[in-house]
Parts: sequence; structure tokens; C-alpha cells
Amino acid sequence: MHYDRAMRWLIELLTRSGDALIAHLLPTGRVLRFGAIALAGIFSPGLYNSATRTVVQKQIYFTAWQIIGSFSLFAALLSLLLIQITITATRNYGLGDYALEVVLRVLVIELLPLITALFVALRSGAAINAEVALMKITNEIEALAEVGVDAMRLEFLPRVIGGVISVLALTATVSLTALVLAYLSLYGLQIHGLAAFSQVLGQVFSPGQVFGLWLKCLLFGLAVTVIPIAAGLDAPHKLFFAPIAVLAGMVRLFFALMLIEVGSLAITYL
Amino acid sequence: MQVSAELPLRANLSVLENIALVPQYRDNRPTRQAEQQAWQLLERLNRTACAGLRDPDLDSEQRFVAKLLRVVIGRPPIIVIERPGLLLPDSHYPSRLADCLAKLEDEINTLWIVDYRWNAPLYPPI
Amino acid sequence: MERPALPTHLIKHLGLKVSLLVGTTVFLALGFLGYTLFARGLFEPTRTLTLIAEDVSNVSIGMPLNFSGFPIGQVKRITLTEQGQGRIEIEVPTRHERWLRSTSVFTLQKPLVGGAKIRVFSTDLAAPPLAEHALPPLYTGDMTEELPLLITRAKNLLDNLERMTHEGSHLDQSLAHVNTVTGRMAGRYGVLEGVLGSADQAKKVVDAVDQANRLLDTLNGVSLKMDRRVFGQNGVMDQTDQALSQVNALLQQTRDSLKKADAILANAQEASGDLALLRGEIDDSVRKLNHLINEINRKWPFAREVEVKLP
Repeated sequence: MHYDRAMRWLIELLTRSGDALIAHLLPTGRVLRFGAIALAGIFSPGLYNSATRTVVQKQIYFTAWQIIGSFSLFAALLSLLLIQITITATRNYGLGDYALEVVLRVLVIELLPLITALFVALRSGAAINAEVALMKITNEIEALAEVGVDAMRLEFLPRVIGGVISVLALTATVSLTALVLAYLSLYGLQIHGLAAFSQVLGQVFSPGQVFGLWLKCLLFGLAVTVIPIAAGLDAPHKLFFAPIAVLAGMVRLFFALMLIEVGSLAITYL
Repeated sequence: MQVSAELPLRANLSVLENIALVPQYRDNRPTRQAEQQAWQLLERLNRTACAGLRDPDLDSEQRFVAKLLRVVIGRPPIIVIERPGLLLPDSHYPSRLADCLAKLEDEINTLWIVDYRWNAPLYPPI
Repeated sequence: MERPALPTHLIKHLGLKVSLLVGTTVFLALGFLGYTLFARGLFEPTRTLTLIAEDVSNVSIGMPLNFSGFPIGQVKRITLTEQGQGRIEIEVPTRHERWLRSTSVFTLQKPLVGGAKIRVFSTDLAAPPLAEHALPPLYTGDMTEELPLLITRAKNLLDNLERMTHEGSHLDQSLAHVNTVTGRMAGRYGVLEGVLGSADQAKKVVDAVDQANRLLDTLNGVSLKMDRRVFGQNGVMDQTDQALSQVNALLQQTRDSLKKADAILANAQEASGDLALLRGEIDDSVRKLNHLINEINRKWPFAREVEVKLP
């Protein structure tokens, strides 16, 4: 009698925790599946037509072009501050020769790409998440499918492409700004430091490092679009689920970005 | 292909863009060409005024026209208009419908209207 | 056909803007890769400079070769030679080749803080250029290894210095003395004053020397008179001879007395009464001898403390 009850309780507990685990893992699985589909779709030639091209262009326009000025200004201020702090600190400790290397490794390779990705995630990631959730809730996806338009190809993949390009463009811009500011802070408006600057730059940015940086920015770009889209598609057909979908997507996106950053650090320095 | 109250327009696109989307996407028409095609269809129905508007700014009649043209422009073999009463709530919709369809006669292959039996008297006898 | 008036798009020149952005991005990305490759010297003709070092523990790939603080090359390979030495291959762009001379000296310096540095010193730029297959040595002056020893030595040195220089130390006193001595030396009596300590003392010495000189003059006179007095007829020596004869006789007596004493001592036990008598006799002889010697002393001018002591 007691044995039966205990057994039932145990089975119930296992079932419940198993369900919870599956429920926990399912979104991650869906994100990965959507990521795989997106990657496969990006490289299929059937994707590109005038409609999808427009979506890509709009995504880039809203994600990168609209903010490139203000964001570059912000990044330049931050970079200038950090460069000055680094130079002063290293010179105080008699390590002035290493200021540039520290700036390159900390600011250009790690900090600026991460800040860019976070900024895009906050701005466009949230927007994409909300938009996709609303598309799902208001049945627009089915409506498009009804007239023979695949929402995946028309809306989602172009957004992924646009997001990746935007993150790359913003990162490239702010990184270049930081490099110029670092040079000016170290050597002023003269060209005599160019040899030493190039030497350190060449030493820090081995081809592997450059490709690694590109790859990291690519992953950031994928994360800030794929995760919000997948989260938006997760939303049930009920309007009140829209905020929940956005919330879940943003949390997942934050952890994904951190995971990419930590992973890249681990690969670079371990 | 259906025209239904449950299949909304793409919310962030104007009426013209919504209609042009189909040839753009399916036949990879250049944007301008596709939009011209859509424009011509709107002209036929004298609805070019709403070409630049988006879904929330449309009245029910404009919204119906946009949904209808989005389907028509794809030249499907069969078009189904589902519950037109829902799409055109505040008007004597059978006559409006007939008016529209007459202007688009050469663009439509087959068209079915699905409506409740109790609305049958509203339609003119076939 | 009349061209329909299509509504203009919300975003003007969308395609152009995006193309511009994408183009710039691609240009930056590829340009950056190209620049890094250029910075790594990929598009530049280089020559390999091979250095031989005893220890390459602080050398790393990518380390710069500095000339006057400017990087002119980079370490590309580090290998071990058959002889067990480190072999460092450095790529030097040919435009920097002129800084490498056959007289150039290569050093590896490890500062206390920061990474090691390979430096080249080319003082004679007119010297013949470094040959392609030359294997110049790399001198490794590792400061940190010698540092503890250096510090110990420096500490000892400083301790000694402090001991030597602090108030009241030997050196201090010596210097003070030297100071006073030299001060005196500069005085009226020169070195003499320095040696003797004061002008008065020096004056005394000088006076003494003068007196001595005068004394010697009179002494000459005295010694002439002395010759006559001492060694002449009835001079001191003559009398002394007589006195000595008397002494001999006295000594003979004393010896006899001592012989008697010996005999008495042989049977000392019973003859202890005679001993006091004998003793008085000896004392008497000795007294006489003393008297005699005193007399000689009186007559002899160079008197010495003479005493005949009884055993």
C-alpha cells in the first residue's frame, strides 16, 4: 500500500522533472534548428529576389545605418577614455611599450565587438523579436504562405543576413575609429610611429586572429538575429504572449552573447 | 488561394508593397516593375489613394481590396473569398464584391465565394 | 503609356546607402587583413638573420629586433643547434639591412618588468655589412639572475661606506687628524710642527738641536781634557787599576770564605751556630767590596748603578 504510493509519487516526480527538462531544452533546440535552417537558407541561391533584397537592405538600414553616427561617437568616446587610461596606467608602471598591445587585445578584439553586439541586440534584436512574435500571433506568416510567399525566406533569413552584415559593419567602423584614436593618442598627428604601430598590430593580429575576430563578429551577428526570431516564432497565437516571447528571447540572447565571448576568450588564451 | 479575415496583410508594408511582393518574390520581378503592375491593378479599382497606406490606416473596404489584389496578382487557378461579410462589414457587400470582380474579370481564372447559407439571398441569382 | 505616379518609398536612396555601408565594411575587413599581412612583412623582401645564443629562454616568436628603439625585425624561428645552442632566426626587411654591420653587437636584455628585448648595436655604420651566412652571437645579459648577488654586494659596500663615514669613525678621525696635521704643516715650522703637534713643541726641538750642536762643540773640548785626565800618569785609569787589584784580593777572600761556607754546609746540621758568624764575615767582605766599587764609581766619570748582590 505504502509502497504503491511511494512508487506513484516517484514516477510522478520523474515525469514532472523530465517534462521540465524537456521544456527547458526545447527552446534551445528550436533555436539551433532555426539556426541550421537559416545557415542552409543563406547559401541557397533561391533565396535572393527583389523582395528579399529589400528586406535585407531595410534591415541593414535600420540596424546599422540609422545608428552608425551616434554609435560611432559613443564608441569613440569610450575608446578614447580607455586608451588614455591604458596608456597612463602602463606608463606609470613602466610598461608604456605594451599600451598598444593591451588596447588592441582588450578594446579592439574583445570589448568593441561585444559592445556592438549588445547594442544591436538591445535595439534591433528586441525589435525583431517583437515583430516576429506579432507576425506569428496575428497569423501573418500563414497569410504570406497563402499567397505563395515563404515567411522564412522573405522575412527571417534576410533579417539574419542583414543583422550579421550590420554587426560586422558597426564593428568594423568602431574598431577602425579605435585604431585611429589609439595611434593618435600614442604618436600624435605624425607618421613616424607608423612602423612601430604596424609592428605591434601585425604581431597581435595574426591571420588566425583576424579570422577569429571575423568569426566572432559573425557569430554575434547570427546570435542577435537568430535567437530573437526563434523566440518570436515560439510565441503561441495569443497576443499576451508577445512580451513573454520578447523577454525569453532577450535573456537567451544575452547568455548566448556572453557564451560566444567567453568561448572566444578561452580559445584565444587557453 | 484564400482571401480571409484571418489572413492579414504584412503589417509593415504599404498596400502597394503588399501587392507587389508576390510577383517580386515568386517571379523575381524588379521592384519597380512589380510595383507598376500592382499600381495598375489598383487603378482599375480606383484605389490608388490608399497605395501608400499601411494596414492600420485602411478602412475595411481598402483592406479588402488590398487582400484581394494580393491574391489576384499571383494569377492562381482558384481564388476563394472566405466570409466576405467579415471582410466588408459595414456595407452591402455582395454588390461591392461584384463591382470589384467585374473590373478584374480578365485577371481571374476561377473564383469561389464561401459564405453562410443564410446570406444567400443577398447575392443576385446566378 | 503614361507612367503611373508611384508613391515614393519611405527611405530615400535605400539601395545606395546600404551598398555604401556594405562596401565600406567589406573594404575595411579586407583592408584590415591586408594591412595586418603587410604589417607582418608578408609583401616585403626580407633577409634572415641568424643569431646563436647560449640560452633562448626569454626569446619568443614574434619578438621584435630593436635598433635605436625602432623595431627592424621579428623573430620567426627558434631552434636548437647540434652544439646545443639556441639558434634564433630573425626576419629583417631588406630596407633595414643597412643597420646590420659585421661589427654589430646583439644583446638580449630582460628588464625587471616587461618582456625581454633583442637589441642590436651598430656603432660603426661604415663597417662592412653583415654577411648573409654570418652567425653572430647573442649576448644574454640577464639582470634578474645576477640581481641578488649584485644587491648583496651593494649592501656590503654601503654598510662599509656608512661605517667609514659616520660621525666619530676611524676615517672621520683620521681625516680630522690629517686636517689638523696638514694645518700645522702649513704653519711656521712646516712638517716638524705637523709631526710634533704644536708650534711650541717644534720650537723646542729646534732649540734642542741648536743646544745639541753647541754641546757637541764643548764636548770636543771636554774630551781632549778627558784624555789627559783619564789616561795620563796618575790619571783615573791608573788609580782604577790599583783599586781592581784590591778588588781581586777581596774577591779571593770572599772565595775563601765561601769555601769555608761549603765546608760548614757539609756538616750544616751541627755547625748551624757557626753559620751566623760566617754570614757576618761574608757580609763584611761584601760591604768592603761595595765600598770599593763606590769609590771606583766616584772616580770613574761615567757612573753606573752597580751593586753586588748577595745570592
